[in-house]
Amino acid sequence: MARFIAKRLALGLITLFLLSVLVFCMANVLPGNVGRRVLGPFASPTAVAALNHQLGTDQPVLKQYWNQMKGYVHGDMGRSVSTRQPISEVLWPALGHSAKLAVLAFLIVVPLSILGGVVAALKEGSVRDRVITVGGLSATAIPDFVWAVVLLIVLSLGLGIFPSTAAWPDGSGILTQIKYLLLPAFCLVFVLFGYIARMARAGTIEALDADYTRTAVIKGLPQRTVLWRHVLRNSLLPTIAVVATQVGYLMGGLVVIELIFNYQGIGQMIFRAATQKDFPALEAAVLVVGVVFLVSTLVADVLYSVLNPRVRLGSADS
Amino acid sequence: MSRNQTNRRVDEIRAKSSELENHLIDEYSSGRLSRRDFVRRGTVLGMSLSAVGFLASACGTGKKTGTTGGGGGTAVQAGGKEVQVRAGGTLKLGMSPGPSTEIDPIKVADEGGLGIMSQTAEFLSWSDSKLHLQPRLAESWKPNADGSVWTFKIRQGVKFHDGTPMTAEDVAASINALSDPKGGSNALSTFAGVLSKDSAKATDASTVTFELDAPNGNFPYLLSSDNYNAIIVPKDLSGKWEKTFPGTGPWKLDRYTPNSGVSYVKNPDYWDKSRIPKLDSQQVKFYPKEQAQILALQSGDVDVLIHFSPTGGKALLNDPKITVIELRSSVHREVHMRNDKKPFDDKRVRQAMALAVDRNALVQGLFAGKADLGNDSPFAPVFPSTDKSVPQRQQDLEKAKALMQQAGVSNVSLTLNTWDGFELGDLAQLLQNDAAKIGIKLKPNITDAGTYYGDAVFGKSPWLDSVMGITDYGHRGVPNVFLNAPLQSKGVWNAAHFHNPTYDGLVKEYTAALDIGAQRTAAKKIQELLLDESPILYPYFYFFLTGTKKNVGNVEVSAMGHYDITKAGFTTGA
Repeated sequence: MARFIAKRLALGLITLFLLSVLVFCMANVLPGNVGRRVLGPFASPTAVAALNHQLGTDQPVLKQYWNQMKGYVHGDMGRSVSTRQPISEVLWPALGHSAKLAVLAFLIVVPLSILGGVVAALKEGSVRDRVITVGGLSATAIPDFVWAVVLLIVLSLGLGIFPSTAAWPDGSGILTQIKYLLLPAFCLVFVLFGYIARMARAGTIEALDADYTRTAVIKGLPQRTVLWRHVLRNSLLPTIAVVATQVGYLMGGLVVIELIFNYQGIGQMIFRAATQKDFPALEAAVLVVGVVFLVSTLVADVLYSVLNPRVRLGSADS
Repeated sequence: MSRNQTNRRVDEIRAKSSELENHLIDEYSSGRLSRRDFVRRGTVLGMSLSAVGFLASACGTGKKTGTTGGGGGTAVQAGGKEVQVRAGGTLKLGMSPGPSTEIDPIKVADEGGLGIMSQTAEFLSWSDSKLHLQPRLAESWKPNADGSVWTFKIRQGVKFHDGTPMTAEDVAASINALSDPKGGSNALSTFAGVLSKDSAKATDASTVTFELDAPNGNFPYLLSSDNYNAIIVPKDLSGKWEKTFPGTGPWKLDRYTPNSGVSYVKNPDYWDKSRIPKLDSQQVKFYPKEQAQILALQSGDVDVLIHFSPTGGKALLNDPKITVIELRSSVHREVHMRNDKKPFDDKRVRQAMALAVDRNALVQGLFAGKADLGNDSPFAPVFPSTDKSVPQRQQDLEKAKALMQQAGVSNVSLTLNTWDGFELGDLAQLLQNDAAKIGIKLKPNITDAGTYYGDAVFGKSPWLDSVMGITDYGHRGVPNVFLNAPLQSKGVWNAAHFHNPTYDGLVKEYTAALDIGAQRTAAKKIQELLLDESPILYPYFYFFLTGTKKNVGNVEVSAMGHYDITKAGFTTGA
């Protein structure tokens, strides 16, 4: 197991390095230059050149890349070239915000969709099953930002139950924060429910059909014990993998949701950095999202092996 | 006041007034100048508001050509009627998109940045919503005989928020930082050809003189709130301005969180006792997307939207819970047609294109009527120097088709470049429909802003190189910038590649004109020349819109994006 994890971490470092090169190349393909972005199209070329010199963005691109990487090794992410703030002062709070939203969404969607999937599977083909699968699929097919607009109009503007933004006032307690986060979390619940519920349903159906379940039933175990001990434990394995892959989406892919709800998460930070051509901020944010991706899939794999002894990590070089 | 007394007072003022000021009074009393324009020009030349107000009623011909009218000095009062508000409270404001860069007075280039800067810091004068200049940190100003040297008297007894007194040296240092080409200042293009490095000098504790590169009758505007960057900061500003927002203004910084919001508390020691805020504090929230701020006002999360676009905020225009403040402005779009490239090298094709456009439909469709029609010159109806007798160009498809035929051009296909901001994409499509009616096939190419502007120099920018494109221009209090860079033969933003020596000469004439009569004479010639040559289409000038909840009163804005809520508050009973 330890060997497996070490190997995965080493591979992860290589992945991150490639990612950093990729982001760097993309940032340099983007048109315009930093000084121009900061001062706007109507500033004089002299002013733009002077600003680029102050920021160091007139240096050769490789040197800029090298400086950035050197900073990372020393634990310094550098400063944003557009707002001149230390990037760490922006990135960590943004990551924290994204994590809060992700955790809340998971706390709602995971139990709900697993319950939905299992309930559907137990009466496969029934009306209940159809409603859950078709309904879940339809909800997933609608993009998150459409849900956002619909929910905002109905629940915030229409009924006035929820605030129209996710940005809670400074100094709010945890309950207020949750109140502000519920609406965006609901959007994510709608998008993820169908997906996770389908996985749970498929896993459950498979487990119900399996020999060990039949054996358990035949040897006279009560239905409840069969379900908890044998069916669920086996059916949830693929679900865990699915949930883990969604962590990356929740931690970096919510650009539009965060913009609509004016939430200072990492998606919005990446969007801003890209439009401002703010390479140091973009690079740092994307790398952090990359780390989150790597860690969450690694955790999923480890968890999978812990729950399922048939998967022997390390020994068979899985 | 009897007739005799009035005449005596007029004579007294005239005796103390400069040649320029006397000329202005002559213009007004002969009826060549409306009351409104007289007041405006008077304040630019540095005459006191009380004198201007008195002369306005004493020397007027009785013709009310302006819109302000009324008696006495009330003509200079900015904004609407003042309502009763209760003292105290916190006003929540929404701003979209909010400042996108570090708040550095020298470099700020966006509406968000200037809006939050001018809460704690002040300008020498304030260009109010009627484009009058009200003295702020300058008590008064005067030009020399030809307008090439301007002397500003600096207000005494004003203190920065940390208690240090504001002096003439702070003023000179603040302005010199803007004209230094090495500083990366955003005001360099405004000051080009007007003010060079180190030409502001503190001659004594309360006087600053500015020696200009060339005479300029509108110079005080360049140091007013019309110039984003011209706020007065301490001369020995060490470290970042963003840390504490040092200034002399009616609000003090409480907390600034980049990309999120800013809050202020009132400055009880503010020098102008009549402008000490009625509110205790204000909180501004930034919204990167306009839709989010519209929702925030509708759902009551904020009390005021400092600025929203007619396109994005249509829902607010008919909302009974919202008060919309409209301000005419010179915000516009320039649809350039390259004068040196086929098919627009023939002016008949440019005229045909201009005649094909249904401007009324654009104004209705894009702005629900909240815009003035453009007449293919940068002279917006809001500028006093604009000659309104020049006939408005309207859609005329028959004439346009005839012109196309005469030019021998038919079935041309062209790319229309612009970027995906504001209403630009919709405008491109509407222009496409209109152009198709006269046989010009336009293909809109809508990119992001960075792609469209490119490096913003000729040869490296679709904006400046394309045969046809749409560019967004923000508000200015005077048309000078619009007349220079986009239209002069050597203009750095001359996307139309318009080279016309007659035009260049007329602009020089317009800029040097110190009185409104001469300005208007030159303006008429420029308007007629541009209407004939049609290098650039100016379809409309749209209004600056501000939204407030019904229980909020006395919010004042300028079309630049400044907001003044010193008198604002919640109305009583709410």
